[in-house]
Amino acid sequence: MIYAEENPSGVSEVDLVVAIPTFNEVANIATVTSQVDIGLTKYYPNLKSAIIVCDNHSMDGTREAFLETKTKNPKIYLSSAPGEKGKGANLRNLFERLITLRPQAVMILEADIRNVQPEWIYNFIEPILRGAGYVTPIYVLHKYESTLSSVVVYPFIRCLYGRRVRQSIAGDCAFGRALIEHFATVPHWSSFVAEKGIDIWMLINALYLRQPVCQTVIGLPKLHRIKDPHAQINRAFVQLVGTLFDLMVPFQDFWMRVKWSKPTILFNADLQEAEVAIPMDVNISRLFETFSRGLDTYRDLLNQVLSVAEMHKLDEIRSMGIQHFNFPSHTWATILFDMAVAYRDAPSDLRPSLLEALLPLYYGKVASYVRKTERMSTQQAEEVVENKCMVFEENKSYLLSRWKGN
Amino acid sequence: MAKILVVDDEEHIRLLYSEELRDAGYEVITAESGYKLLELIESEKPDLVVLDIKMVDYNGLDLLQDIRAKFYDLPVILSTAYDTFKEDTKSMAADFYVVKSFDLTELKKKIAMALEARESFE
Repeated sequence: MIYAEENPSGVSEVDLVVAIPTFNEVANIATVTSQVDIGLTKYYPNLKSAIIVCDNHSMDGTREAFLETKTKNPKIYLSSAPGEKGKGANLRNLFERLITLRPQAVMILEADIRNVQPEWIYNFIEPILRGAGYVTPIYVLHKYESTLSSVVVYPFIRCLYGRRVRQSIAGDCAFGRALIEHFATVPHWSSFVAEKGIDIWMLINALYLRQPVCQTVIGLPKLHRIKDPHAQINRAFVQLVGTLFDLMVPFQDFWMRVKWSKPTILFNADLQEAEVAIPMDVNISRLFETFSRGLDTYRDLLNQVLSVAEMHKLDEIRSMGIQHFNFPSHTWATILFDMAVAYRDAPSDLRPSLLEALLPLYYGKVASYVRKTERMSTQQAEEVVENKCMVFEENKSYLLSRWKGN
Repeated sequence: MAKILVVDDEEHIRLLYSEELRDAGYEVITAESGYKLLELIESEKPDLVVLDIKMVDYNGLDLLQDIRAKFYDLPVILSTAYDTFKEDTKSMAADFYVVKSFDLTELKKKIAMALEARESFE
């Protein structure tokens, strides 16, 4: 629920909205707001636009910094109640507000991006105005940036819902009017969706409603504030995988019918800018250690969920040691599928422990991916990801069989 | 019977694909260039397009973007003699790609998968 709203220009209906979810973003909100304003003014001077900050009741001056930023387009400030946290909670307030604003196109842009360009507004909004229902970006990524997407989210969503959306958890997206009312009724909401699960929740709902999906090529890396990466990934993993598993039940009639996968529309694909991704160091030893330790810590639970053959395979993988470490994609796919079934069948209070037990196995899969691709170019590593996706798709029959209880 | 449109500027490829795919039970129509391809798709309503990437007058990857923008779910399989095209982001809009060969086993497999995928979405 919207706890507070400020609408100094008295905006009622608009054509375009760019929304910025925030929590304590005083350092960057003015810059992002200005860039958005320049983009809206430059590319859509004849449409009525609004810039909306949907805030988690920040106490650092985010609200003031936003409202005091000089813009040509009107601004609206929304806030959730004190203590109500999460990007999803922010966007839920936005969806509620969009019902009366009735825009044709809505773009969501994260507040901590340091290199946002006015062109990005066009890159996200234009595909919607040309008929797409949902837009996700293709930023220039290092091969080890967003392994959560490469190893879990991309292959899993692609296998289940049949659409190849490469960077669905990038944090930025756009959608059209057809989705506003659906989002506003918040079907299948959860505490995970209220936080980081919101991005895939929106995408999966869009896919379920058969909205044409477009991937827009940005041609630049996304530079944003570095938080504690380890803590962030652990939380994100639980919330994203929890959301993926949660949504499998209400959408089972859809995903159980889907075979193989299909591409999306591309926008701005002529852009062949050879921007270099941000270099990243990955500590394979630490990933392997986390995997190995987790296998011991969660052995009892894993024994209950995974087959004897899978447990043997995990022990065999560990015994290879770091030099020859290889976690086969087939094993990873069937483990995820078995976990999804166990998660569905578990009482709700036991579900978080299943996600915790899966986390070290994820680190093992990441270690294997890094080992396999360390001498590869980004393009070659991308082919490894594509091949992994095919393994997921080829083994969907196993998931179907387990899901139906065979 | 699924209808397949083969777009290739090499006559022997069009002949080979036509014969083999007809033998495999498909209805086949062909085009020797990308000229008025969207109109052809509109009128003939193929169930799938096999598209050459490098034609004398047309770039298959550009044609692919046009097809995808107008016919969102129409399966398109890229057919190529070179696999360097994968470095081009535009190739992501294809359902599959195959390297040109006289053995069409891989092409037939990809056609079956793409048609199955499309059917499952309907």
